[in-house]
Amino acid sequence: MSTERIPLDDKALWRSFATGQPVAPVAVSDMDFAAWLEGNLPEAEAARIDAAVTADPALRQAALELADILGKPLPAAPARMAVRAQALVGFAAERPVRKGWLASLLPDFSQGLGFQRGALAATAVIVAAVGFMLGGGISKQYQEAIYASSQSSSSTAIRPLGSDTTGELTDLFSDAT
Amino acid sequence: MTELSQIDLRSLAAGHKRTWDAFVSAASPLINAVVRRSLSTYRLSEDDVMDAAQDVFVRLCANDFRLLKTYDPARAGLSTWLAVVARSAAVDFARRRRQATAPIDEVPEAALAVEDRHVEKLKIPDGLLTERQTLILKCLYDEERDVAEVAQLLKIDAQTVRSTHHKALLRLREHFKGEPP
Repeated sequence: MSTERIPLDDKALWRSFATGQPVAPVAVSDMDFAAWLEGNLPEAEAARIDAAVTADPALRQAALELADILGKPLPAAPARMAVRAQALVGFAAERPVRKGWLASLLPDFSQGLGFQRGALAATAVIVAAVGFMLGGGISKQYQEAIYASSQSSSSTAIRPLGSDTTGELTDLFSDAT
Repeated sequence: MTELSQIDLRSLAAGHKRTWDAFVSAASPLINAVVRRSLSTYRLSEDDVMDAAQDVFVRLCANDFRLLKTYDPARAGLSTWLAVVARSAAVDFARRRRQATAPIDEVPEAALAVEDRHVEKLKIPDGLLTERQTLILKCLYDEERDVAEVAQLLKIDAQTVRSTHHKALLRLREHFKGEPP
């Protein structure tokens, strides 16, 4: 930043114009002051704020400080500052929005994290229940299919004991004789 | 982290918690800087700085976000407006705190000057200088700021500050030629 200063004789000339005669400060709204700081005001309106800032040392000090702060990168704020401020507004402060009857039947995901978690948990329960029911049905069908296949294969390859003993006994006695 | 310019102002003014939390995260560095700077002439503790910053946030959300609803994005950026609001709140906080606790003898002179709300009228005929010329001379001479600082304040080139200053002095010298002010 430049440290260029104005010659002292000019300063002395300027100082000789100060009378010390007090006048009432002009009220400047925060919005007007912010617009002036950004250079966004039309000339006539800017001139009114120029005059107020010229006349009021406190307003001038504020303007110079704010221009300096806004022109620099800012350091991080202490974490507890944000934590305290965030606690000022809770979910209860949210204003209900009037919805149509159809929209009111649907879940409102803008209602906050707690609501979202509840909705997700309910969805997970429903998915699990449907999955269980489907899984049970499939396994029953599977068991029936396995049983049916075992029945058919045993009838051709391995016969259970006692299923047809008449022929075997006839063979045994005929061999013996 | 969300930037101030990305904050949904309607959602914020409607009091949505998540928007408020994002706004606080984005605004905290600025409000912290402004409050510390504004209170630097007062001898206040770190807890006081925290309380003053909290005061700013309370102002913003009080009475159903009434102050926030006065912000007009068409006129100035949110950062600039917030900085102005934060400074006003911090100065008010310091005045209240001083009135409540500190004997007048212990208050630094610089801090007293902040409350000195009288303003001075110059012995210059109306219309001789423009308001902008007068402000530039005030900043350069009374505030003893350099040209770059004045240019930053007024969002103009340093060269414009120099030429405005030069023209103002010429007018003053011309007007008061042979006539001491």
